[in-house]
Amino acid sequence: MLKVKRDKLPQVLSVWSEEAVVYTPQEEDGVSTFRPWTGQAEVTFKPGSTVLPPKELFFPRTEEMYRYRVEGQAAFLEELSLPQQKCVLVGVRSCDARSLLLLDDVFLTKGYVDEFYRRRRENTLVVALACREALDTCFCTSLGVDPARAEGVDIQAWEKDDGYLLQATSERGKALLDKVGTLLTEVSEEPPAGARPSLEVDPEGVTEKLQRMFEHPFWDDLWHKCVGCAACTFLCPTCHCFDIQSENRGNEGFKFRCWDSCMFAEYTRMAGGHNPRPTRKERVRNRILHKLRYFPERYGKLGCVGCGRCLERCPVHMDITKIIQAIKEVALDG
Amino acid sequence: MAESFRNGNPLVPQLGRIINIVEETPDIKTFYITTDQGKPFTPLPGQLAMLSLLNVGEAMFSITSQGPEHLEISIKKVGTLTEAFHEAEVGQTVGIRGPYGNGFPLEMFYGKDVLFIGGGIGLAPVRSLINYCIEHRDKFGHLWIIYGARSPADLCFKKDLFENWPKVENCRVDVTVDKGDDTWTGHEGFVPAFVEELKPTPQGRVAVTCGPPIMIKFVLQVLEKLGFKDDQIVTTLEMRMKCGIGKCGRCNLGSKYVCLDGPVFTLAQLKELPNEY
Ligand SMILES: Cc1cc2nc3c(=O)[nH]c(=O)nc-3n(C[C@H](O)[C@H](O)[C@H](O)COP(=O)(O)OP(=O)(O)OC[C@H]3O[C@@H](n4cnc5c(N)ncnc54)[C@H](O)[C@@H]3O)c2cc1C
Ligand code: SF4
Ligand code: SF4
Ligand code: FES
Repeated sequence: MLKVKRDKLPQVLSVWSEEAVVYTPQEEDGVSTFRPWTGQAEVTFKPGSTVLPPKELFFPRTEEMYRYRVEGQAAFLEELSLPQQKCVLVGVRSCDARSLLLLDDVFLTKGYVDEFYRRRRENTLVVALACREALDTCFCTSLGVDPARAEGVDIQAWEKDDGYLLQATSERGKALLDKVGTLLTEVSEEPPAGARPSLEVDPEGVTEKLQRMFEHPFWDDLWHKCVGCAACTFLCPTCHCFDIQSENRGNEGFKFRCWDSCMFAEYTRMAGGHNPRPTRKERVRNRILHKLRYFPERYGKLGCVGCGRCLERCPVHMDITKIIQAIKEVALDG
Repeated sequence: MAESFRNGNPLVPQLGRIINIVEETPDIKTFYITTDQGKPFTPLPGQLAMLSLLNVGEAMFSITSQGPEHLEISIKKVGTLTEAFHEAEVGQTVGIRGPYGNGFPLEMFYGKDVLFIGGGIGLAPVRSLINYCIEHRDKFGHLWIIYGARSPADLCFKKDLFENWPKVENCRVDVTVDKGDDTWTGHEGFVPAFVEELKPTPQGRVAVTCGPPIMIKFVLQVLEKLGFKDDQIVTTLEMRMKCGIGKCGRCNLGSKYVCLDGPVFTLAQLKELPNEY
């Protein structure tokens, strides 16, 4: 196995930076998120995932799609060039690595390919970092995520006290390691065991159960405390809803898309005022059903990766693990 | 699948222009749209288009008809974008992307008698199927169109209703208005009650209905009473839409996206989905 000493890591990142923007978890106004590494000597990875998930590197919060200009009856449209920037994303946890595979299902399958997303995915190599320690809110293992081995990444790293073990898990990952070969040493160490989150819930059968629970009184109480702030969806690494808007200045402007949330009333309100999901009851139900029933029905896997962000950050402590448990305990006749 | 992925991004429209405008009713106009390269794309009956005025906005519309070089879209004036369309004149540049949605399940209609029930602007999507049945007349049995609007002035596609369609072989057209005026000699009353009076039989027949939600609701009850089964009834849904390609999440009905898996559903399919529309 290859290893990089802790003090050599900045040099590794520096070599990778020659051809790509390297992102690492960093604090910004006290909130951890993936930011471009700009040569900082100290590169640390706190336990758990970043507060903001890495999805924004592939699916930006706002993204300009095209510009236009209007002159009388005529209109002109200027397309934007697709993203070219090569990136290396360092320190992605297993839960977030799984979330990227789920976003791939959304943006790259079922008839249409989202070209902006595809380019960003293709231009980005992902270096996953195993978790030695779980947070109280982590429950990834319940979703079949292995904290010590991420899926669909290019390099898997394991943190040791004096450095990081590294293993290429794709051809492109191997090429990336080759580039920094002189900074690595071959060691006979074994990867350390992954974290064991103490929070657990068994989602087995929850999709099938929910297929019979759309009209169930279960939903009548659940939503009362929700304040509709949408923190749960903005922070969720698998939430992918977006709005399309334009910014118009006189006779020119641009069209952009931006994150949106099914927790907002506006989201489904139609011209004429009719709203198929008029209250927080229907909206909370939709979020839970989307993660646990609709996503599996459409893409064959649960839409939650057990990162715990929503339960940690919800101002009223809406807890998806408790909700899964409660769903399992609901008695249905027949 | 969309034919024109300009730059690979399906969310970027083509530019087209309005080449003809037909004033259907005081608040509905039909726009003929083409591009420098000809017809923007060739939709199936019941498919949709995202149409925009670049500096105003973008919305989903049914493609009500098409010619060799153009698409026809009927727009009811209800808000910002639709009002701007009503003020637009021939020559106006528009953005258009599509075709979206599944369209009508044509196999289901082949060899059958078809009953079309429309209300108000709801005739727009149904009209694309009526015209298709007329163009491929030998593939379908008897065609029966039952249509209603609030008043005689609000009847959409009058030329089709009173001239073109009644001339088609083995085709019947019945029109009603909620309330007539001095000149109206036709039927008065709501569409569902009119259907009940006319008593179409379910044998060998498929029914297609589209209109205001309240009309659809009562038409479905009447059809059920007349003996139509859930898999003999087809309807189209409207949900708020943004992307049109099953990604933005907005138009979900359970695990289906209406923009991609709909907007056309049989009643049997709808009953399998959460009642959330
Ligand atoms: C699948 C599908 C197919 C469609 N096909 C067609 C079609 O063929 N033709 C067509 O005209 N439309 C069609 N629509 C509807 C069309 O998309 C909307 O009418 C359009 O989005 C309205 O945009 P707007 O900017 O004009 O209205 P907005 O400015 O977005 O909203 C209109 C505002 O005006 C008011 N308002 C709007 N409608 C009404 C109303 N009915 N009664 C009272 N007040 C109202 C409300 O305050 C509302 O918020 C379809 C929609 C879908 C999803
Ligand atoms: S974070 Fe909590 S309060 Fe906010 S919308 Fe989500 S469930 Fe509701
Ligand atoms: S639903 Fe909550 S725990 Fe699951 S992936 Fe989203 S934020 Fe993480
Ligand atoms: S309109 Fe975006 S998913 Fe249907």
